[in-house]
Order: sequence, then structure tokens, then C-alpha cells
Amino acid sequence: MPELNVFYDLIPKLLPFESMQMRFMQQALVGLLLLAPMVALMGVQVVNFRMAFFADAISHSAFTGVALGLIFAVSPHWTMPIFGLLVGLAIVASQRRSALSTDTIIGVFFSGVVAFGLAVVSRDKNVARDIQRFLYGDILTIGNGDIWAMIALLAVLTLFQVYGYNRMLYIGLNPVVAKVHRVRVAAYQYIYAGLLSFVVIFSVWAVGVLLVTAMLIIPAAAARNFARSAGGMVWWALLVSATSTVIGLLISAQDWAGTATGATVILVAFGWFLISSGVDLIRGERSGR
Amino acid sequence: MAFKSVTVALGGKTILDSVSARVPQGSCTAIVGPNGAGKTTMLLALLGEVPYTGGIRISRAGEDRQLRIGYVPQRLQFDRGMPLTVLELMVTGWQRSPLWFGVRRRYRERAMELLRSVKVDGLEKRRIGALSGGEIQRVLLALALGQEPDLLVLDEPASGVDFQGEHVFCELLDKMRCERGFTQLMVSHDLPTVTHHATHVICLNRRVAAEGPPREVLTAETLTAIFGLHMGLVDSRALPNGKCSCSSPCCTRGSDHA
Repeated sequence: MPELNVFYDLIPKLLPFESMQMRFMQQALVGLLLLAPMVALMGVQVVNFRMAFFADAISHSAFTGVALGLIFAVSPHWTMPIFGLLVGLAIVASQRRSALSTDTIIGVFFSGVVAFGLAVVSRDKNVARDIQRFLYGDILTIGNGDIWAMIALLAVLTLFQVYGYNRMLYIGLNPVVAKVHRVRVAAYQYIYAGLLSFVVIFSVWAVGVLLVTAMLIIPAAAARNFARSAGGMVWWALLVSATSTVIGLLISAQDWAGTATGATVILVAFGWFLISSGVDLIRGERSGR
Repeated sequence: MAFKSVTVALGGKTILDSVSARVPQGSCTAIVGPNGAGKTTMLLALLGEVPYTGGIRISRAGEDRQLRIGYVPQRLQFDRGMPLTVLELMVTGWQRSPLWFGVRRRYRERAMELLRSVKVDGLEKRRIGALSGGEIQRVLLALALGQEPDLLVLDEPASGVDFQGEHVFCELLDKMRCERGFTQLMVSHDLPTVTHHATHVICLNRRVAAEGPPREVLTAETLTAIFGLHMGLVDSRALPNGKCSCSSPCCTRGSDHA
């Protein structure tokens, strides 16, 4: 495994806090800093495409991913992303073919995967206790293998966004117009859903099933209030998600706070959202909206 | 372009029943008919958005390449809160480098030229959510023209636009069709617009009731057959010389050739 220690050793020099002297905190920070740009970029489209419910369904498929891992005696680090990916692609395929509305289709998959996961998990009381990790997230136990997987995912995702951000906006505006105007709508939708599924599953480790959608939509929602253009929205989302993760992690490690990291990160992001709403309100009043 | 025995059935209900019609090259063809006649479905079949049986041939005399289509939808359903400016929308289909690195100069110039041509220059920095119905239709027209289409497809192009705006929109389209030489296919249930601008009309009510130049097709008998009773609205004798009566000089010249 290539060396990550160089990065970890840099952290206490850049952030001279007592809590940052510990290796698990350094790993957690690197993990969150890798996750921040991913949730920011993907979140912009989650908000523009109204896919918050989709992200929710994928995050809940984490239960089933864990359950499948138990059945086949495979590490959940493999079964969760693979199962999440399959659920994501299955939802997009059904949406494209079915006459049912999108939220109904997602709702059906959502219930199915959660029920299956709970059914398997409820058979074993020890596992039921372990499931709590996935409900609230556990960024502090992140390992080097996870970090390498996130580096690879960030690279692929950045390539996709650099290549497809504009076309994705086109599809977000109206898929039929985009398709007639020679945008490969289906390909973009499948690739996006696949990448989003991976991002959601990695976020589950960081902030837990209950807060994963927040991690995707709050920075993007705040960015929407701050930005005046589609290009600017990305920069704002990056700023909000990166600062929220770093500040959230630092606060959660303070003795006076002692809070769960995932929840603290989301609270900082929510603070950003409140500020952005104020900015939007003032701007609206000035322009007489 | 020709439709040959196109049938569309959705959920066990026949929406189009063996529709055969043609769209002459360079024409302004209008599909007219009452609500529920299958007008929009006919366009969607053409665009490959609904499954159909039969055949739709789109080709141009003496050319092998696949023809480019520009599409202006009926009232665009979109998220009005999206921070997307008119200029950004115009370049999303052309520019590869992501918009967060800004709009490239050559695409900006091309977009501005198109916006000027549909008379909405000055709006490029506005959010699309802040535009009026008429402005959005024009921006969408500019977007479709940016495809340099051989065939421009419009679904109720002037819906949500007041009468004056509608007239201006159609005049603009007529002028552009003559300048750029594309074929225009539009859906309308607004007969005055059709009689004023179309050079070829397809009367549709699940089946094709009649097809041809407006004066020949828009007779009291046909209109009563497809729309029902109240059809004193269009008097075919009012159509000058059986040609389209658009005031744009190139349009009347174009229809003389039809």
C-alpha cells in the first residue's frame, strides 16, 4: 500500500490543535477532505435534479449491504458499495421504463432494501448493535484502504464532472430537449447514478445513514442561495462543504463539545445555510423581488 | 420528412391511428387539431420519445447524413430557482470545459449573436427563472437554432405569450426560416396563427383528416369534422390566393414556391 503518512504528518503542522496530534483524527480529516469536494459537486446536481430522495434510498441500502456481507461472510466494505451501485442503477433503469412517477419507484426500492436489511439483521442481536455505526456514522474508524478507495473515486468523479457538468445542466433543465439536441442523456444518467451511489455509501461511513442526504444537499442548497450563476454554485458548494467538514471535525473533538463528528459537520453546514438564506433575503429585498 | 402508418398506443388506448403525412422540405408545416387529438404525441414519436409502429423517415433530398433537429417544447417545466443564466444555458450544449471555469469567449460571442437574432439581447446575465413566458420561448428558440437545425420542431410555440407577442414570435420564425432554410414543424391549436403563417397543414384527430396547403385544407367541412360545431372562425375565402398570408416578404415568396 503506498504511503499516506506524509499527508497525515502535514496535518498537525497546518492545524496545530491538540486533537490533531492523533493518527485517527488525521485519517478522519483526510477522509472528510476527500469527501467534501465529492458531496459538493454531486450535491449541486442532487439539488438541481431533485434527487434527494434517491440519495436517501441509496443510503438506506447500506443496511442491506451490511446484511449481505454477513450472509456471504464478505467485508461490508465491499458489499455496501456494490449493493448501493446496483440499487442506484436499478432505480434509474426503472425510472426510464416505467410509467410510475419517480418518487413512487424510489419509494418502492427504498422500502424493499430496508425491509430486507432489517429482516436479516434482526435475526442476530450482535449485528443489531453493530448497525448503530451505520446509523450515526463512524469517520474516526476510517482506515487507509477506505482512504485509497476515496482517492480513486474522487479522481473518477472529477473527470466525469469536468467532462459532463455542462451537459448535466442541460439534462437537468429538460431531458427531452437535451436528447433531441444530441446530448447522450441515458449514458449521463446511468454514470451519474452510479457515481452518486458510491459517494452516498462513503458518506454513510462518515456521517451515517440518517444524515447522508444532509451532507449532499445542505452545501448545495446554501450555494444556490449565494451563487448568481451555475458556475458560481460549484465554488460556493465546495467552500461550504470543505469548511463545514474541517470545522465540524475540530469542534467535535473538543472536550467541551464531545459530540458525534457527522452530526457536528452537518450542524456547521446548516449554519452556512442560515447565513446564505439571510444573504438571499437581503438581496431579494434590494432587487425588489 | 414523412410519417407512414404511424400508430401510437399507450396504456391500451390508441392515441394515433395509422397516421400518414408528409412535411415538405423548407415548409412551415402546422399540425392542427382539438385537445387530445395526438398532436404532441406525433411530435414525440418523431423525436423518439414514445414507442410507435409504422415508419418515420427524416431525410433531405440528395443527402445521406443524419439531419439535425432543434426542439422548442411547449411551456418548459423547469426549476425556477436554479441559478442558471441565459448565457450559461446557451453554451451548455456546446462548451465542454465546465461552466465553473467561466464561459469561453468564442461560445459567448456565438450565443450573443443568436440571442440578438431572436431579439433578447441584454438578457444574457439574467437567471432563466426570472424571465417572462415570452422571453423563455425566445431563449429556447435561440437554443434550438444553436443546433443549426435542418428541422425545427415547435410544440405550441406561442403558448403563454400574449397575442401581440405571438404574432411577433411567428413573424420572427418566418423570417429565420427563409434566411436559414430549415423546415419548420409546429403544433398549434390556434387556427389564426396557422392560417397566417403555415404553408402546409396537417389536420389531426387521432387520424389525419386532411393535409395540404391551408386554403385547401382549412375548409368549413374539415374543421367541423375534427373540431366539432363552432367552426365559423376560419373563413378559407379570407386567405389570399390560397397562400399563407404572413406579412414577411420572404415568407410569401417562399410559399409561392410551395
